[in-house]
Amino acid sequence: MSVIKTAGLTRRFGEVTALEHLTLELPRAGVIGLVGPNGSGKSTLIRILLGLIAPTSGTAEVLNEPISAPGRYLQRVGALVENPAFVPGLSARANLMSLARLRGLPASRVDEVLRTVGLTGRDTEPVKRFSLGMKQRLGIAAALLPDPELLILDEPTNGLDPSGIVEIRGLLADLARAGRTVIVSSHLLAEIETVCDYLVVIRFGHLVYSGPVTDLLARTSRRIEIAAEHARDTSSLLTLLSADGWQVEPTSDGRLGVAADEHEGAELNRSATRGGITLKSMTPVRGSLEEIFLEMTGDSDQDLTAARAAAAERKAS
Amino acid sequence: MINAVRSELLRTRRKGVVLGWFGLTILFTAMINMVMAQVVGSSRAQPEGGPGVSFPTLDQWQAADGITAGLSSAASMYGVVALSFWAIVTAGDYSSGLIRLTASAQPDRVRLLLGKVGALSLWTAAVTTVALIANLIIAPMAARSADLDVSAWGQDVLPTLAGAWFNLLATLLVWGVIGLVLALVTRSAAVSISVGVGYVLVVEAVITAALDAIADWTPGATLSALAQGGTGSIPYGTALALGALYTLLGLGVALTVFQRRDITD
Repeated sequence: MSVIKTAGLTRRFGEVTALEHLTLELPRAGVIGLVGPNGSGKSTLIRILLGLIAPTSGTAEVLNEPISAPGRYLQRVGALVENPAFVPGLSARANLMSLARLRGLPASRVDEVLRTVGLTGRDTEPVKRFSLGMKQRLGIAAALLPDPELLILDEPTNGLDPSGIVEIRGLLADLARAGRTVIVSSHLLAEIETVCDYLVVIRFGHLVYSGPVTDLLARTSRRIEIAAEHARDTSSLLTLLSADGWQVEPTSDGRLGVAADEHEGAELNRSATRGGITLKSMTPVRGSLEEIFLEMTGDSDQDLTAARAAAAERKAS
Repeated sequence: MINAVRSELLRTRRKGVVLGWFGLTILFTAMINMVMAQVVGSSRAQPEGGPGVSFPTLDQWQAADGITAGLSSAASMYGVVALSFWAIVTAGDYSSGLIRLTASAQPDRVRLLLGKVGALSLWTAAVTTVALIANLIIAPMAARSADLDVSAWGQDVLPTLAGAWFNLLATLLVWGVIGLVLALVTRSAAVSISVGVGYVLVVEAVITAALDAIADWTPGATLSALAQGGTGSIPYGTALALGALYTLLGLGVALTVFQRRDITD
């Protein structure tokens, strides 16, 4: 049972092709990450799914309804597209009330979503006094109004403080546990890795990957970083393990990196012991989503450069 | 449909919009009545009507329905203000990005647009009422200040007021729909207002001078005639029919543009 299905979805803006023959099927329930560099087509895909723009060619279904008839499914979909937009002079409550009225929802629903995003008590203040984080919460509240089966959030943690990010993460997890499907578009790959069960990677309008996050992470090269009890034994340990057939290379912090899965740790330890060297530490190291992302999407723009820098920073720390 | 109107009413209930629109209406009412009293009461020759402004004669002003002459004289000014506010509210949805939220919440774009038209029509009716009340207060004061005899103003008050209210409302609705269409096409309040005001001040005068045959069919002339309850060259029925035609054409264009164009903002 899929929540979204596209077949050959293409959208051109003049000479620019934002999406090209995108075919994918997303499972119902769980948190799905939608990632890709700037201009990769994420926003275009979201806008097509929400009926805001029409595809140049191809078809798509949302909640088993064709996108040509958005009226059949949008009452069951909540969305936060790009920056949350509200009438600045109106209060948070009035803004939500206007959207609730548009959807034919009762005022009590406004109270519920205000409570959910933690804006009760600030709801009578004009939105123009809100910080970016508060506007983001209000945007999420607006998306939650219809109690949606499918929630599409573009950069939901943008502008939130750390505690707000944790809250939103918890909220997304709760929604997924309650059987909702949440699609999160984000540049924060560490965030995606933490929250999402399923991942869609798009680059230049093409689908690069669609599948469980765990499957993708399993593709990464795994290794174990080891340290000899005495630093003077490090070079001997390198020679010894290499002679035993392990792929070993020194790390920048004086340890050794061995290409090995976690379950090979015992065998690695035995190799060292056989050579009379005691290991002080063994640390399994897994590739991050950022590294995989860079491998898949190349480094063609600033986002990727930033992602690479972030990956290098993580590695160093 | 009612939900869409109620939603739009709530969104447009902003101090800036309401006070600005109502305030300008009261200002223009005071201005036109004061100037009109001095002009019609003086022995000087009546000045040529400026763009969008036409003054009554002394006899017309002192007649029973003269009490509402200020409304029809200032109708084009009110009209430009109405066009501006309809355009600001409509184009503002695009510049703020609010249109993404509303179009996702109400995918039936016909309903969404008609909801906006309904809400703005209600605001226009409120503004028309404000203009009428302001005129009822200011016109007698202006007449007294110019020492004019307006004793006939007490006759047939209700039919006179009802007729003037309806004619001004009909006129402002056409102006508003023009603002709506311009805003949907240009997606910019500034461009829409510039085009609307430029048309009233310049383009229609040029068209009328160049093509005398269509002078009585142009929107400005038609709407002036509608506000006045008909003129010598454009009877009331013709003005009403042309006003309705402009409204329907405008709504047709607005609905087509709104339904077919992508929401990329």
